[in-house]
Amino acid sequence: MQFSAIQIILVAVWAFIVAIDQFDLLESLYQPIVTGAVIGAILGDLQTGLIVGGTYQLMTIGNMPVGGAQPPNAVIGGIMATVFAISSNLDTTAAVGLAVPFALIGQYMVTLLFTVMSPIMSTADKMADKADTKGIVRLNYLAMAALGLLFAVVCVAGLIGGSALGETLSKMSEDYAWIMNGLSAAGGMMRFVGFAILLRIMLSNDLWGIYFAGFTLATIIGYIPDLAGSALILIAFVGIAIALNDFQTRVAIKQNAGSATGGDEDGI
Amino acid sequence: MASNATTYNNLTPAQPLDKKTLNKMVWRSLNLQASFNYERMQAAGWLYCILPGLEKIHADNEEDLKISMAHNLEFFNTHPFLVTFVMGIVLSLEQQKADINTIRAVRVAAMGPLGGIGDAIFWFTLVPITAGITANMAINGSLAGPILFLVIFNAVQFAVRFWLMNWSYKLGSKAIELLTANAKEFTRAASMLGVFIVGALTSNYGGTTIALTIENGESPIVIQSILDGVLPKIIPLGITLGLYFLIKKKGWTPVACIGLLLVVGLLGALVGIF
Repeated sequence: MQFSAIQIILVAVWAFIVAIDQFDLLESLYQPIVTGAVIGAILGDLQTGLIVGGTYQLMTIGNMPVGGAQPPNAVIGGIMATVFAISSNLDTTAAVGLAVPFALIGQYMVTLLFTVMSPIMSTADKMADKADTKGIVRLNYLAMAALGLLFAVVCVAGLIGGSALGETLSKMSEDYAWIMNGLSAAGGMMRFVGFAILLRIMLSNDLWGIYFAGFTLATIIGYIPDLAGSALILIAFVGIAIALNDFQTRVAIKQNAGSATGGDEDGI
Repeated sequence: MASNATTYNNLTPAQPLDKKTLNKMVWRSLNLQASFNYERMQAAGWLYCILPGLEKIHADNEEDLKISMAHNLEFFNTHPFLVTFVMGIVLSLEQQKADINTIRAVRVAAMGPLGGIGDAIFWFTLVPITAGITANMAINGSLAGPILFLVIFNAVQFAVRFWLMNWSYKLGSKAIELLTANAKEFTRAASMLGVFIVGALTSNYGGTTIALTIENGESPIVIQSILDGVLPKIIPLGITLGLYFLIKKKGWTPVACIGLLLVVGLLGALVGIF
C-alpha cells in the first residue's frame, strides 16, 4: 500500500504531538486506543484503527496476554502497529510484533534526549543567575519540540521503509546494543549527581546519621515487594515523626530557657 | 552562585497569589516533564511551572528572583498528575519569604511520597478501568470508545490538578502562620526530614547494579549478590557519596560529574560490567 504525501505529513504531525504527550500535555492522547483511531482515520480505515487500538490497549494494561515481545514504547508501538495492520492487512498481534523494532528505536531516542538534556541543566543554572525567565520557558519548549521531531522522523521512516526497514533496524540495534546499555547505565547513575548537589547544601555535619537512617529504612522496605508503591509514604511518616519530635523538643527547650528565672530548678 | 543564599533579601511577605495566577500555573503543570533528564529529572520543568508565581512574588527584587530560580532548579521528581500539591505548598512558602533551607526541605519531603500515590490512582486504577471498558467499545468499531476514554481520564486529571493547587496553597498559607514564631526550629526540623528523604531516595531511586560474574565451574560467582551480602544498595550509596565528595571537596561541576558517569557507563557496558 502506497501512502500519499498528505497521509505521511499527517502521521508525522500526530507522531510529533503524541511523542510530547507521553510525558506532557494531556498524557492520554498517546494511549493506543486514541492513537489507533487517529492513525486509522488518516490512512482511510477508521474501523481497523479502532480495532487495533482497542486490542493493543488491552495488551498494555495487562488485560490481554501478548504473544511475543511487547514494544518498549507504546507511542510508536501504537502508531506503527496500526500502520502495519492497515497497509499489510495483518491481525493486531502480528502488526504489534512488526512495530517492535521501531518502538525500540523510539525508546533509544528517549534515552539519548534524556542524556543530552542532563548537561544542558547547567545552561538553565546560568539562566537562573541572570533571572532569564524567558530562557527557561524557551528551553522547556525546545526540549519538547526535539522529542516530537525525533519521533516524527522514526514514524515517517517506518511509513516509507515498511517492515523491511524494521528488520534492518532490529539488526542494527543488536549491533549497537552495548552503546544503549552504556547510556542507560550512565543515565541511571546521573540522578546521583542531583542527589549529591542537594546534599551539598542540605547536609550539615550533624545530619549524617539522619541521611543513613533514611537510606537504611528505604533499603529494608525495598526488600518487601508488596510495599513497592507505598514505600516512600511509609518512609515519610517515620521522617515526619523524627522531625516533629526534634521540633517539639527544641521549642520546649527554648520556652523553658526563656522562662527559667532560677526558682523552677529546685523541682528537678 | 546565588544558590548559596539562605534567606531572601526582601523578607516582607508578598501579596497572596490571585486565583488567575494559580490557575495559569495549573495549566503549565501539564508540561512538568518537558525538559526531563537523567540528572535532575523534572527540575527545569518544575521551575517553568511555578515561574508565573515566582515572578509575582519576587517582582520587587530581582536578586531574590535569581536566588529563587536557582534553588528551584535542583533535583526534582514527583508524580506529574499530583505536582500541583507540591506547587501550592512551595509557592505559599515563597510568598511568605520563608527560609530557603525550609522551602528546599519541604519541596524534597513533599515530592517523594506522591509518586506511589499517583501511580496507584492513575496508572493502576483509573487507566485500567476506563481503558478496559472503552477498549472493548473500540474493538466493536465504536468511535465512542476513544472519545469516552479521553473525556473520563482528563476530567479526573484536571479536577485533581485544580483542586490540589488551590487546597495546598491555602494549607501552606495557614500552616506558616503557626510556624513563624519558631521559624529557626522549623527550618532545622524540615532539613532533617529533607535529608532523611534524600537518604531514602538514594536507595529507592538507585537501581544501578553490576552484571559481572566470575567463572567458577558449575556455580559462577555473581559479584552483585556478594555486594548485596555486604550492604544492599551499596553501589547507589557509594556513587552518591563519591559524587558528593567530588562536588563539595574537589569543586567538581555537575557537568564534569555527568561526563565522568558517561565514560564509566559506556566503558562499563563495553566490558560487560553493566
